[in-house]
Amino acid sequence: MPHVKKPSPRVYRHPLPVRLTHWIAALALGILAMSGMQIFNAHPALYASDVSHFDRPVFKIGADEPLAGNPVGYVQIGSLRVNTTHVLGYGPDGMGGEIGRAFPSWATIPTYQDLADGRRWHIFFAWVLVVCGVIYAYFALRLLPSRADLRELPHTLRTHLVPWRLPREPQLNPLQKVSYVGIIFIVVPIVVASGLALSPSVDAWLPWLPQLFGGRQFARIWHFGGMIALMAFFVVHLVMVALTGLINNLRSMITGWYVVKGRKSV
Amino acid sequence: MKMDRRSFVGLVAAASLSGCARIATSLNENASIHRLLLAPERLNLAILGAGQPLAHEYSPADISSDFRQNGFYPPSSDAYQRWSTDGWRGFSLRVDGMVERPASFDMPSLRRTFVRRSQITRHDCVEGWSVIGKWSGVLVADLLAAVEVKPLAQYVVFHCMDDDGEGNLYYESLNMHQAAHPQAVLAYDLNDRPIPVKNGAPLRLKVPTQLGYKSAKYVRRIEVVAALGGRLGRGGYWEDRDYEWFAGI
Repeated sequence: MPHVKKPSPRVYRHPLPVRLTHWIAALALGILAMSGMQIFNAHPALYASDVSHFDRPVFKIGADEPLAGNPVGYVQIGSLRVNTTHVLGYGPDGMGGEIGRAFPSWATIPTYQDLADGRRWHIFFAWVLVVCGVIYAYFALRLLPSRADLRELPHTLRTHLVPWRLPREPQLNPLQKVSYVGIIFIVVPIVVASGLALSPSVDAWLPWLPQLFGGRQFARIWHFGGMIALMAFFVVHLVMVALTGLINNLRSMITGWYVVKGRKSV
Repeated sequence: MKMDRRSFVGLVAAASLSGCARIATSLNENASIHRLLLAPERLNLAILGAGQPLAHEYSPADISSDFRQNGFYPPSSDAYQRWSTDGWRGFSLRVDGMVERPASFDMPSLRRTFVRRSQITRHDCVEGWSVIGKWSGVLVADLLAAVEVKPLAQYVVFHCMDDDGEGNLYYESLNMHQAAHPQAVLAYDLNDRPIPVKNGAPLRLKVPTQLGYKSAKYVRRIEVVAALGGRLGRGGYWEDRDYEWFAGI
Protein backbone atom coordinates (compact mmCIF):
# COMPACT_ATOMS: atom_id res chain seq x y z
CA MET A 1 0.00 0.00 0.00
CA PRO A 2 1.53 3.30 -1.07
CA HIS A 3 -0.20 5.37 1.55
CA VAL A 4 -2.03 4.79 4.78
CA LYS A 5 -5.66 5.64 4.53
CA LYS A 6 -8.02 5.89 7.42
CA PRO A 7 -10.06 2.72 7.13
CA SER A 8 -13.76 3.15 6.41
CA PRO A 9 -15.95 2.35 9.36
CA ARG A 10 -17.39 -1.11 8.95
CA VAL A 11 -19.89 -3.26 10.75
CA TYR A 12 -19.97 -7.01 11.15
CA ARG A 13 -23.33 -7.68 9.60
CA HIS A 14 -23.71 -11.45 9.14
CA PRO A 15 -22.21 -14.13 11.42
CA LEU A 16 -20.62 -17.17 9.77
CA PRO A 17 -23.56 -19.62 10.14
CA VAL A 18 -25.84 -17.08 8.42
CA ARG A 19 -23.45 -16.57 5.52
CA LEU A 20 -22.87 -20.29 5.11
CA THR A 21 -26.52 -21.30 5.26
CA HIS A 22 -27.55 -18.35 3.06
CA TRP A 23 -25.40 -19.58 0.18
CA ILE A 24 -26.16 -23.26 0.65
CA ALA A 25 -29.90 -22.52 0.83
CA ALA A 26 -29.64 -20.34 -2.29
CA LEU A 27 -27.91 -23.18 -4.17
CA ALA A 28 -30.47 -25.69 -2.87
CA LEU A 29 -33.42 -23.50 -3.87
CA GLY A 30 -32.01 -23.10 -7.39
CA ILE A 31 -31.53 -26.85 -7.78
CA LEU A 32 -34.95 -27.54 -6.26
CA ALA A 33 -36.63 -25.17 -8.74
CA MET A 34 -34.83 -26.72 -11.73
CA SER A 35 -35.32 -30.36 -10.68
CA GLY A 36 -38.88 -29.44 -9.72
CA MET A 37 -39.53 -28.29 -13.27
CA GLN A 38 -38.12 -31.63 -14.45
CA ILE A 39 -40.63 -33.43 -12.20
CA PHE A 40 -43.46 -31.13 -13.31
CA ASN A 41 -42.70 -32.09 -16.93
CA ALA A 42 -43.80 -35.67 -16.19
CA HIS A 43 -47.39 -34.46 -15.83
CA PRO A 44 -47.53 -30.74 -16.63
CA ALA A 45 -51.03 -30.01 -15.34
CA LEU A 46 -52.46 -28.76 -12.05
CA TYR A 47 -55.88 -29.49 -10.57
CA ALA A 48 -57.72 -27.52 -7.88
CA SER A 49 -58.90 -30.60 -5.97
CA ASP A 50 -57.68 -33.64 -4.07
CA VAL A 51 -57.49 -35.84 -7.19
CA SER A 52 -56.88 -35.14 -10.88
CA HIS A 53 -59.87 -34.33 -13.06
CA PHE A 54 -57.94 -34.79 -16.26
CA ASP A 55 -60.43 -32.89 -18.40
CA ARG A 56 -60.35 -29.74 -16.27
CA PRO A 57 -56.89 -28.66 -15.23
CA VAL A 58 -56.66 -25.12 -13.85
CA PHE A 59 -53.15 -24.80 -15.24
CA LYS A 60 -51.46 -26.68 -18.00
CA ILE A 61 -48.38 -26.45 -20.18
CA GLY A 62 -48.87 -28.39 -23.39
CA ALA A 63 -48.22 -28.71 -27.09
CA ASP A 64 -50.41 -28.99 -30.15
CA GLU A 65 -48.60 -30.97 -32.79
CA PRO A 66 -50.81 -31.01 -35.89
CA LEU A 67 -50.03 -33.39 -38.74
CA ALA A 68 -49.70 -30.42 -41.07
CA GLY A 69 -48.18 -27.15 -39.93
CA ASN A 70 -45.88 -26.10 -37.12
CA PRO A 71 -46.22 -27.41 -33.57
CA VAL A 72 -47.45 -24.89 -31.03
CA GLY A 73 -46.45 -24.78 -27.37
CA TYR A 74 -48.87 -23.14 -24.97
CA VAL A 75 -49.56 -22.26 -21.36
CA GLN A 76 -53.18 -22.61 -20.36
CA ILE A 77 -54.62 -20.91 -17.28
CA GLY A 78 -58.28 -21.78 -16.91
CA SER A 79 -59.62 -21.30 -20.41
CA LEU A 80 -57.02 -18.70 -21.38
CA ARG A 81 -54.35 -20.03 -23.71
CA VAL A 82 -51.07 -18.21 -24.37
CA ASN A 83 -48.76 -19.22 -27.21
CA THR A 84 -45.31 -19.98 -25.76
CA THR A 85 -43.74 -21.96 -28.62
CA HIS A 86 -39.93 -22.35 -28.42
CA VAL A 87 -39.94 -21.76 -24.65
CA LEU A 88 -42.79 -23.55 -22.86
CA GLY A 89 -44.81 -26.52 -24.11
CA TYR A 90 -42.76 -26.98 -27.24
CA GLY A 91 -39.10 -26.04 -27.12
CA PRO A 92 -35.45 -27.07 -26.93
CA ASP A 93 -34.79 -30.75 -26.22
CA GLY A 94 -31.17 -30.18 -25.21
CA MET A 95 -29.83 -31.90 -28.30
CA GLY A 96 -30.21 -29.11 -30.81
CA GLY A 97 -33.80 -29.88 -31.74
CA GLU A 98 -37.20 -29.05 -30.38
CA ILE A 99 -39.70 -31.33 -28.74
CA GLY A 100 -43.00 -31.22 -26.90
CA ARG A 101 -42.05 -30.68 -23.23
CA ALA A 102 -43.42 -28.28 -20.63
CA PHE A 103 -40.23 -26.64 -19.36
CA PRO A 104 -37.32 -26.38 -21.81
CA SER A 105 -34.10 -28.38 -21.43
CA TRP A 106 -32.12 -25.30 -20.34
CA ALA A 107 -34.30 -24.90 -17.24
CA THR A 108 -34.36 -28.48 -15.94
CA ILE A 109 -32.04 -30.85 -14.06
CA PRO A 110 -31.09 -33.04 -15.82
CA THR A 111 -31.41 -31.20 -19.14
CA TYR A 112 -33.00 -34.23 -20.87
CA GLN A 113 -36.31 -35.71 -19.74
CA ASP A 114 -35.55 -37.96 -16.74
CA LEU A 115 -38.10 -38.08 -13.92
CA ALA A 116 -36.12 -40.56 -11.80
CA ASP A 117 -32.97 -38.43 -11.67
CA GLY A 118 -34.96 -35.21 -11.29
CA ARG A 119 -36.50 -36.79 -8.18
CA ARG A 120 -33.08 -37.77 -6.83
CA TRP A 121 -31.83 -34.17 -7.05
CA HIS A 122 -35.08 -32.80 -5.69
CA ILE A 123 -35.35 -35.04 -2.64
CA PHE A 124 -31.62 -34.72 -1.81
CA PHE A 125 -31.68 -30.93 -1.91
CA ALA A 126 -35.02 -30.79 -0.12
CA TRP A 127 -33.15 -32.22 2.88
CA VAL A 128 -30.28 -29.76 2.36
CA LEU A 129 -32.79 -26.89 2.32
CA VAL A 130 -34.60 -28.06 5.43
CA VAL A 131 -31.41 -28.56 7.48
CA CYS A 132 -29.93 -25.24 6.33
CA GLY A 133 -33.25 -23.49 6.55
CA VAL A 134 -33.74 -24.36 10.20
CA ILE A 135 -30.32 -22.89 11.11
CA TYR A 136 -30.90 -19.85 8.90
CA ALA A 137 -34.39 -19.28 10.30
CA TYR A 138 -33.05 -19.43 13.86
CA PHE A 139 -30.71 -16.53 13.10
CA ALA A 140 -33.47 -14.76 11.18
CA LEU A 141 -35.62 -14.57 14.31
CA ARG A 142 -33.90 -11.26 15.06
CA LEU A 143 -35.41 -9.92 11.82
CA LEU A 144 -38.94 -10.21 13.14
CA PRO A 145 -40.10 -6.60 12.76
CA SER A 146 -40.84 -4.68 15.93
CA ARG A 147 -43.87 -2.45 16.28
CA ALA A 148 -41.60 0.55 15.60
CA ASP A 149 -40.42 -1.16 12.39
CA LEU A 150 -43.99 -1.59 11.21
CA ARG A 151 -44.77 2.04 12.00
CA GLU A 152 -41.78 3.09 9.94
CA LEU A 153 -42.69 0.83 7.01
CA PRO A 154 -44.69 3.41 4.95
CA HIS A 155 -41.80 5.86 5.28
CA THR A 156 -39.28 3.21 4.14
CA LEU A 157 -41.52 2.37 1.20
CA ARG A 158 -41.41 6.03 0.15
CA THR A 159 -37.61 6.07 0.27
CA HIS A 160 -37.64 3.15 -2.20
CA LEU A 161 -39.59 4.93 -4.93
CA VAL A 162 -36.53 6.18 -6.82
CA PRO A 163 -34.41 3.16 -7.88
CA TRP A 164 -31.13 5.12 -8.17
CA ARG A 165 -31.53 6.84 -4.79
CA LEU A 166 -32.12 3.85 -2.57
CA PRO A 167 -30.97 4.13 1.03
CA ARG A 168 -27.75 2.29 1.94
CA GLU A 169 -27.63 1.48 5.60
CA PRO A 170 -25.69 -1.15 7.52
CA GLN A 171 -28.74 -2.23 9.46
CA LEU A 172 -31.68 -3.83 7.70
CA ASN A 173 -34.61 -1.48 7.15
CA PRO A 174 -38.23 -2.41 7.95
CA LEU A 175 -39.02 -3.20 4.31
CA GLN A 176 -36.14 -5.69 4.16
CA LYS A 177 -37.16 -7.23 7.46
CA VAL A 178 -40.76 -7.71 6.35
CA SER A 179 -39.79 -9.24 2.99
CA TYR A 180 -37.10 -11.55 4.41
CA VAL A 181 -39.36 -12.68 7.25
CA GLY A 182 -42.17 -13.28 4.74
CA ILE A 183 -39.92 -15.49 2.62
CA ILE A 184 -38.21 -17.33 5.48
CA PHE A 185 -41.21 -17.86 7.77
CA ILE A 186 -44.14 -17.96 5.35
CA VAL A 187 -43.26 -18.77 1.73
CA VAL A 188 -40.52 -21.37 2.25
CA PRO A 189 -42.47 -23.22 4.97
CA ILE A 190 -45.51 -23.30 2.65
CA VAL A 191 -43.38 -24.70 -0.17
CA VAL A 192 -41.83 -27.35 2.12
CA ALA A 193 -45.15 -28.34 3.72
CA SER A 194 -47.02 -28.53 0.41
CA GLY A 195 -44.16 -30.62 -0.99
CA LEU A 196 -44.44 -33.02 1.94
CA ALA A 197 -48.21 -33.22 1.33
CA LEU A 198 -47.43 -34.82 -2.06
CA SER A 199 -45.88 -37.84 -0.35
CA PRO A 200 -48.35 -40.69 0.18
CA SER A 201 -46.38 -41.87 3.23
CA VAL A 202 -46.34 -38.42 4.82
CA ASP A 203 -50.08 -38.20 4.13
CA ALA A 204 -50.63 -41.48 5.99
CA TRP A 205 -48.82 -40.02 9.02
CA LEU A 206 -50.38 -36.55 8.77
CA PRO A 207 -53.77 -36.88 7.04
CA TRP A 208 -54.59 -33.23 7.84
CA LEU A 209 -51.61 -31.95 5.87
CA PRO A 210 -52.97 -32.39 2.32
CA GLN A 211 -56.39 -31.25 3.58
CA LEU A 212 -54.78 -28.03 4.80
CA PHE A 213 -53.88 -27.25 1.19
CA GLY A 214 -57.23 -28.32 -0.30
CA GLY A 215 -56.16 -31.87 -1.19
CA ARG A 216 -53.09 -33.48 -2.74
CA GLN A 217 -53.48 -32.05 -6.23
CA PHE A 218 -54.23 -28.62 -4.78
CA ALA A 219 -51.02 -28.95 -2.74
CA ARG A 220 -49.17 -29.14 -6.09
CA ILE A 221 -50.64 -25.72 -6.91
CA TRP A 222 -49.31 -24.34 -3.61
CA HIS A 223 -45.94 -26.00 -4.24
CA PHE A 224 -45.74 -24.63 -7.78
CA GLY A 225 -47.08 -21.20 -6.82
CA GLY A 226 -44.61 -21.00 -3.95
CA MET A 227 -41.78 -21.69 -6.40
CA ILE A 228 -43.02 -18.85 -8.63
CA ALA A 229 -43.14 -16.55 -5.57
CA LEU A 230 -39.58 -17.53 -4.63
CA MET A 231 -38.40 -16.84 -8.17
CA ALA A 232 -40.04 -13.43 -8.09
CA PHE A 233 -38.34 -12.73 -4.75
CA PHE A 234 -35.01 -13.88 -6.21
CA VAL A 235 -35.27 -11.42 -9.12
CA VAL A 236 -36.21 -8.47 -6.89
CA HIS A 237 -33.53 -9.48 -4.36
CA LEU A 238 -30.83 -9.50 -7.07
CA VAL A 239 -31.95 -6.12 -8.40
CA MET A 240 -31.94 -4.57 -4.92
CA VAL A 241 -28.53 -6.05 -4.08
CA ALA A 242 -27.16 -4.60 -7.32
CA LEU A 243 -28.76 -1.17 -6.85
CA THR A 244 -27.63 -0.67 -3.24
CA GLY A 245 -23.91 -1.40 -3.64
CA LEU A 246 -23.28 -4.75 -5.29
CA ILE A 247 -19.71 -5.23 -4.01
CA ASN A 248 -20.43 -4.07 -0.48
CA ASN A 249 -23.54 -6.23 -0.23
CA LEU A 250 -21.79 -9.29 -1.64
CA ARG A 251 -18.80 -8.75 0.66
CA SER A 252 -21.04 -8.56 3.68
CA MET A 253 -22.64 -11.90 2.80
CA ILE A 254 -19.20 -13.48 2.10
CA THR A 255 -16.91 -12.01 4.77
CA GLY A 256 -19.56 -10.66 7.11
CA TRP A 257 -18.25 -7.07 6.97
CA TYR A 258 -20.34 -4.23 5.58
CA VAL A 259 -18.58 -0.92 4.95
CA VAL A 260 -20.55 2.09 6.06
CA LYS A 261 -20.59 4.83 3.40
CA GLY A 262 -20.09 2.03 0.91
CA ARG A 263 -20.65 4.40 -2.02
CA LYS A 264 -17.36 6.22 -1.54
CA SER A 265 -15.03 3.45 -0.51
CA VAL A 266 -16.06 0.88 -3.12
CA MET B 1 -30.42 -7.63 -35.02
CA LYS B 2 -31.85 -5.09 -32.68
CA MET B 3 -32.64 -6.38 -29.25
CA ASP B 4 -34.66 -4.64 -26.58
CA ARG B 5 -33.58 -4.62 -22.97
CA ARG B 6 -36.16 -7.08 -21.84
CA SER B 7 -35.19 -9.81 -24.29
CA PHE B 8 -31.53 -9.20 -23.44
CA VAL B 9 -32.21 -9.77 -19.74
CA GLY B 10 -34.27 -12.83 -20.65
CA LEU B 11 -31.44 -14.20 -22.75
CA VAL B 12 -28.88 -13.67 -19.97
CA ALA B 13 -31.19 -15.39 -17.50
CA ALA B 14 -31.74 -18.34 -19.84
CA ALA B 15 -28.00 -18.60 -20.50
CA SER B 16 -27.14 -18.70 -16.79
CA LEU B 17 -29.91 -21.21 -16.08
CA SER B 18 -28.66 -23.27 -18.97
CA GLY B 19 -25.14 -23.21 -17.52
CA CYS B 20 -26.42 -24.47 -14.15
CA ALA B 21 -28.51 -27.16 -15.85
CA ARG B 22 -25.49 -28.36 -17.83
CA ILE B 23 -23.19 -28.47 -14.82
CA ALA B 24 -25.77 -30.39 -12.80
CA THR B 25 -26.39 -32.77 -15.69
CA SER B 26 -22.71 -33.60 -16.06
CA LEU B 27 -22.46 -34.17 -12.29
CA ASN B 28 -25.50 -36.42 -12.65
CA GLU B 29 -23.52 -38.63 -15.06
CA ASN B 30 -20.90 -39.27 -12.38
CA ALA B 31 -21.63 -42.66 -10.80
CA SER B 32 -20.67 -41.75 -7.23
CA ILE B 33 -22.62 -38.48 -7.28
CA HIS B 34 -25.56 -40.33 -8.80
CA ARG B 35 -25.39 -42.78 -5.89
CA LEU B 36 -24.90 -40.03 -3.30
CA LEU B 37 -28.10 -38.34 -4.46
CA LEU B 38 -29.98 -41.44 -3.35
CA ALA B 39 -28.59 -41.14 0.21
CA PRO B 40 -31.76 -39.57 1.72
CA GLU B 41 -33.76 -42.68 0.79
CA ARG B 42 -32.58 -44.54 3.92
CA LEU B 43 -33.41 -41.58 6.12
CA ASN B 44 -36.85 -41.23 4.52
CA LEU B 45 -37.52 -44.93 5.01
CA ALA B 46 -36.31 -44.82 8.61
CA ILE B 47 -38.60 -41.89 9.44
CA LEU B 48 -41.69 -42.66 7.38
CA GLY B 49 -41.45 -46.44 7.56
CA ALA B 50 -41.17 -46.51 11.35
CA GLY B 51 -44.83 -47.34 11.98
CA GLN B 52 -47.91 -48.56 10.13
CA PRO B 53 -50.05 -45.42 9.67
CA LEU B 54 -53.09 -45.94 7.47
CA ALA B 55 -53.67 -44.12 4.21
CA HIS B 56 -56.83 -42.03 4.31
CA GLU B 57 -59.91 -44.02 3.24
CA TYR B 58 -62.50 -42.19 1.16
CA SER B 59 -66.24 -42.59 0.72
CA PRO B 60 -67.80 -44.29 -2.34
CA ALA B 61 -68.82 -40.86 -3.69
CA ASP B 62 -65.15 -39.95 -4.06
CA ILE B 63 -64.30 -42.79 -6.47
CA SER B 64 -62.88 -41.47 -9.77
CA SER B 65 -65.03 -42.18 -12.84
CA ASP B 66 -62.02 -43.56 -14.69
CA PHE B 67 -59.03 -45.24 -13.08
CA ARG B 68 -56.28 -44.03 -15.41
CA GLN B 69 -54.15 -46.65 -17.10
CA ASN B 70 -50.39 -46.14 -17.01
CA GLY B 71 -47.25 -48.22 -17.43
CA PHE B 72 -46.77 -51.14 -19.81
CA TYR B 73 -49.28 -52.63 -22.19
CA PRO B 74 -51.19 -55.62 -20.80
CA PRO B 75 -49.30 -58.94 -21.06
CA SER B 76 -49.18 -60.19 -24.61
CA SER B 77 -48.62 -63.89 -23.97
CA ASP B 78 -51.05 -66.46 -25.40
CA ALA B 79 -51.71 -67.80 -21.92
CA TYR B 80 -52.73 -64.35 -20.66
CA GLN B 81 -55.00 -63.83 -23.66
CA ARG B 82 -56.64 -67.18 -22.99
CA TRP B 83 -57.08 -66.60 -19.27
CA SER B 84 -58.44 -63.09 -19.67
CA THR B 85 -61.09 -64.22 -22.14
CA ASP B 86 -61.99 -67.35 -20.17
CA GLY B 87 -62.76 -65.91 -16.72
CA TRP B 88 -59.23 -66.74 -15.44
CA ARG B 89 -59.93 -70.48 -15.58
CA GLY B 90 -56.58 -72.25 -15.38
CA PHE B 91 -54.77 -69.22 -13.94
CA SER B 92 -53.18 -69.58 -10.56
CA LEU B 93 -51.01 -67.47 -8.28
CA ARG B 94 -47.84 -69.15 -7.06
CA VAL B 95 -46.53 -68.29 -3.58
CA ASP B 96 -43.11 -69.75 -2.84
CA GLY B 97 -39.52 -68.99 -1.83
CA MET B 98 -38.68 -68.90 1.86
CA VAL B 99 -42.00 -70.32 3.05
CA GLU B 100 -42.86 -73.53 4.86
CA ARG B 101 -45.70 -74.55 2.53
CA PRO B 102 -45.35 -73.23 -1.05
CA ALA B 103 -48.76 -73.13 -2.66
CA SER B 104 -50.76 -72.15 -5.73
CA PHE B 105 -54.11 -70.42 -5.51
CA ASP B 106 -56.60 -70.11 -8.33
CA MET B 107 -58.99 -67.16 -8.43
CA PRO B 108 -61.98 -68.93 -6.85
CA SER B 109 -59.85 -70.14 -3.95
CA LEU B 110 -58.42 -66.65 -3.37
CA ARG B 111 -61.94 -65.28 -3.24
CA ARG B 112 -63.27 -68.12 -1.10
CA THR B 113 -60.46 -69.01 1.30
CA PHE B 114 -59.41 -65.56 2.45
CA VAL B 115 -61.21 -62.70 4.13
CA ARG B 116 -62.14 -60.05 1.57
CA ARG B 117 -60.57 -56.70 2.45
CA SER B 118 -61.70 -53.47 0.82
CA GLN B 119 -60.29 -49.96 0.81
CA ILE B 120 -61.20 -46.77 -1.03
CA THR B 121 -57.84 -45.08 -1.32
CA ARG B 122 -56.04 -42.52 -3.42
CA HIS B 123 -53.55 -43.72 -5.99
CA ASP B 124 -50.66 -41.27 -6.43
CA CYS B 125 -48.61 -41.73 -9.57
CA VAL B 126 -44.91 -40.82 -9.50
CA GLU B 127 -45.73 -38.53 -12.45
CA GLY B 128 -47.83 -36.36 -10.17
CA TRP B 129 -51.48 -37.20 -10.78
CA SER B 130 -53.96 -38.90 -8.40
CA VAL B 131 -57.14 -40.93 -8.77
CA ILE B 132 -59.35 -42.72 -6.22
CA GLY B 133 -60.50 -46.31 -6.50
CA LYS B 134 -61.98 -49.06 -4.37
CA TRP B 135 -59.72 -52.08 -4.18
CA SER B 136 -60.82 -55.42 -2.74
CA GLY B 137 -58.81 -58.56 -2.28
CA VAL B 138 -56.61 -60.58 0.02
CA LEU B 139 -54.42 -58.98 2.64
CA VAL B 140 -50.79 -59.72 1.75
CA ALA B 141 -50.29 -60.58 5.44
CA ASP B 142 -53.09 -63.20 5.29
CA LEU B 143 -51.61 -64.77 2.19
CA LEU B 144 -48.16 -64.96 3.77
CA ALA B 145 -49.61 -66.41 6.97
CA ALA B 146 -51.21 -69.18 4.94
CA VAL B 147 -47.86 -70.31 3.52
CA GLU B 148 -45.92 -69.51 6.72
CA VAL B 149 -42.90 -67.36 6.10
CA LYS B 150 -39.55 -68.71 7.31
CA PRO B 151 -37.79 -66.72 10.06
CA LEU B 152 -34.89 -65.32 8.00
CA ALA B 153 -37.07 -63.95 5.19
CA GLN B 154 -36.63 -60.20 4.55
CA TYR B 155 -38.49 -59.29 1.37
CA VAL B 156 -41.59 -60.25 -0.55
CA VAL B 157 -41.13 -60.05 -4.32
CA PHE B 158 -44.07 -59.69 -6.70
CA HIS B 159 -43.39 -61.14 -10.16
CA CYS B 160 -45.66 -59.85 -12.91
CA MET B 161 -46.76 -60.89 -16.38
CA ASP B 162 -46.35 -57.55 -18.18
CA ASP B 163 -43.10 -56.55 -19.85
CA ASP B 164 -41.57 -53.40 -21.29
CA GLY B 165 -41.60 -54.67 -24.87
CA GLU B 166 -37.92 -55.62 -24.62
CA GLY B 167 -38.48 -58.77 -22.61
CA ASN B 168 -37.99 -57.26 -19.15
CA LEU B 169 -40.81 -58.39 -16.88
CA TYR B 170 -42.24 -56.01 -14.30
CA TYR B 171 -41.59 -56.82 -10.67
CA GLU B 172 -41.75 -55.10 -7.32
CA SER B 173 -40.88 -55.82 -3.70
CA LEU B 174 -41.85 -54.95 -0.14
CA ASN B 175 -39.95 -55.57 3.06
CA MET B 176 -41.62 -57.69 5.75
CA HIS B 177 -42.78 -54.61 7.65
CA GLN B 178 -44.45 -53.15 4.55
CA ALA B 179 -45.96 -56.53 3.63
CA ALA B 180 -47.57 -56.64 7.07
CA HIS B 181 -49.30 -53.27 6.56
CA PRO B 182 -53.07 -53.57 7.15
CA GLN B 183 -53.76 -51.91 3.78
CA ALA B 184 -51.28 -53.90 1.67
CA VAL B 185 -53.71 -55.90 -0.43
CA LEU B 186 -53.45 -58.29 -3.32
CA ALA B 187 -56.57 -57.03 -5.06
CA TYR B 188 -58.87 -58.92 -7.41
CA ASP B 189 -61.66 -56.31 -7.62
CA LEU B 190 -61.61 -52.66 -8.60
CA ASN B 191 -64.78 -50.76 -7.69
CA ASP B 192 -66.53 -54.05 -6.83
CA ARG B 193 -65.92 -55.66 -10.22
CA PRO B 194 -63.06 -57.88 -11.37
CA ILE B 195 -60.06 -55.66 -12.14
CA PRO B 196 -60.11 -54.62 -15.82
CA VAL B 197 -57.20 -55.77 -17.95
CA LYS B 198 -55.86 -52.21 -18.24
CA ASN B 199 -55.64 -51.88 -14.44
CA GLY B 200 -53.80 -55.15 -13.82
CA ALA B 201 -56.18 -58.15 -14.07
CA PRO B 202 -56.51 -60.58 -12.46
CA LEU B 203 -54.38 -59.65 -9.43
CA ARG B 204 -52.82 -56.36 -8.54
CA LEU B 205 -50.84 -55.38 -5.49
CA LYS B 206 -52.20 -52.22 -3.84
CA VAL B 207 -49.99 -50.32 -1.41
CA PRO B 208 -51.71 -46.97 -0.82
CA THR B 209 -48.91 -45.54 1.36
CA GLN B 210 -46.47 -45.56 -1.56
CA LEU B 211 -46.45 -44.20 -5.12
CA GLY B 212 -48.25 -46.09 -7.88
CA TYR B 213 -45.26 -47.97 -9.27
CA LYS B 214 -45.08 -50.00 -6.04
CA SER B 215 -48.60 -51.33 -6.75
CA ALA B 216 -47.55 -53.95 -9.29
CA LYS B 217 -50.14 -55.13 -11.82
CA TYR B 218 -50.67 -58.58 -13.38
CA VAL B 219 -49.12 -60.41 -10.40
CA ARG B 220 -48.35 -64.06 -11.21
CA ARG B 221 -46.00 -65.16 -8.46
CA ILE B 222 -45.09 -64.04 -4.98
CA GLU B 223 -41.62 -65.02 -3.88
CA VAL B 224 -40.32 -64.60 -0.33
CA VAL B 225 -36.57 -64.02 -0.20
CA ALA B 226 -33.79 -63.26 2.27
CA ALA B 227 -32.26 -60.45 0.21
CA LEU B 228 -32.60 -58.44 -2.96
CA GLY B 229 -29.77 -58.02 -5.44
CA GLY B 230 -28.44 -60.31 -8.14
CA ARG B 231 -31.37 -61.62 -10.16
CA LEU B 232 -33.67 -59.31 -8.16
CA GLY B 233 -31.67 -56.15 -8.83
CA ARG B 234 -32.70 -53.22 -6.66
CA GLY B 235 -36.07 -54.82 -6.02
CA GLY B 236 -38.20 -53.55 -8.86
CA TYR B 237 -38.39 -52.72 -12.55
CA TRP B 238 -38.34 -48.96 -12.00
CA GLU B 239 -35.89 -49.27 -9.12
CA ASP B 240 -33.49 -50.83 -11.63
CA ARG B 241 -34.02 -47.68 -13.70
CA ASP B 242 -32.98 -45.14 -11.06
CA TYR B 243 -36.22 -44.75 -9.09
CA GLU B 244 -36.23 -45.10 -5.30
CA TRP B 245 -37.00 -48.51 -3.82
CA PHE B 246 -38.89 -46.72 -1.03
CA ALA B 247 -41.70 -45.15 -3.03
CA GLY B 248 -43.27 -43.32 -0.08
CA ILE B 249 -42.22 -39.87 -1.35
